[in-house]
Amino acid sequence: MYGPSLDRLARAYELDPDARRDLLQEIHLQLWRSFAHFDQRCSLRTWVYRVAHNVAARHTIRQRRIRSRLVAIEHLDLLSGSDPGELAVSQNQALERVSMLIQRLNPLDRQIIVSYLEGMDAASIAGITGLSPANVAMKVHRIKNVLRRLFGEGGPHAE
Amino acid sequence: MPSEYPMNDPQTIWQNQPTEPLKMPENELRRKVRQRQAKARIQALVSIALGLIVCVFFAWTCARAHELLPRLGLGLLSLCGLNFVYQAYRWIWPRNLGPDATVNVSLQFYRSELERQRDYASHIWRRAGLSFCLLGLAMVVVPGVIHSLKSPRLLMNFVPVLVLLAIWLAVFFPIRKRKLHNLQQHLDELNLLEKDNR
Repeated sequence: MYGPSLDRLARAYELDPDARRDLLQEIHLQLWRSFAHFDQRCSLRTWVYRVAHNVAARHTIRQRRIRSRLVAIEHLDLLSGSDPGELAVSQNQALERVSMLIQRLNPLDRQIIVSYLEGMDAASIAGITGLSPANVAMKVHRIKNVLRRLFGEGGPHAE
Repeated sequence: MPSEYPMNDPQTIWQNQPTEPLKMPENELRRKVRQRQAKARIQALVSIALGLIVCVFFAWTCARAHELLPRLGLGLLSLCGLNFVYQAYRWIWPRNLGPDATVNVSLQFYRSELERQRDYASHIWRRAGLSFCLLGLAMVVVPGVIHSLKSPRLLMNFVPVLVLLAIWLAVFFPIRKRKLHNLQQHLDELNLLEKDNR
């Protein structure tokens, strides 16, 4: 049911295909083991994402070399080596830009941007991250601004 | 990847990226099946032991009773114990899964075991013959209560039985509800797993 979403989530946390497969397996195992504790206080989707993000965040935090270079969305200068105003010429290039952007973020902001890209609303993202919906809405606003700069003025979802 | 997605919509680009399905490791699935089998075996053994104790105890009291109605009631309670043993063996005792079973077979086996137990738990009143148990109990207790009406002091002898019955009824329904909820949760978990393994 959530297989493709979880695969995308793992891609947001791990670029190496083998390590990503391990991470995905770890996420599935953790979901499998902790399902008995699912108390239905939130939706199944929110719960699945919360568990998956926690596993993936732990995975990122364990990689100290990478951890030291991670930044918050507020401190993100756009990717070096790419021209933000220029439209991506292919799907792959566009995807690569988003992936590179995500890879630079700290785990919390990564949770927010991945959930936003998955099409979740602020309340659901708040349920996953534990932040207040207002705080999430502010972060999502910043993410949209960054993505707009990255993809040109046409997107994302220009207000 | 389809080329018609807008290049400047990150959400669409993100959601349409190619993904690889992950299969649940077979070992983990087998471990889960074995765990469920062990749990079901213990549960079945406890139920069988309880049923046998009830059967032997009431058969023994039945042999010692003098009046007809209580004797019939005790006999009925003894038979209920025997029926409980049979039903526990039939519905709770786990079947065997071959060591060379594939993931699909393991999943189907796990599902059928869970469904069997859910079926038993949801129809336990009928399957375990609890109506006959209560009838048997009434046949034993009511004549005694009628005799004791002449002397209220003798009536006090039946208070522990009635208190135990009330406690059992108060505990039975919430436990049954929780058990059904747990089994349903396992089945939902299994549905999730099956969808991810397709």
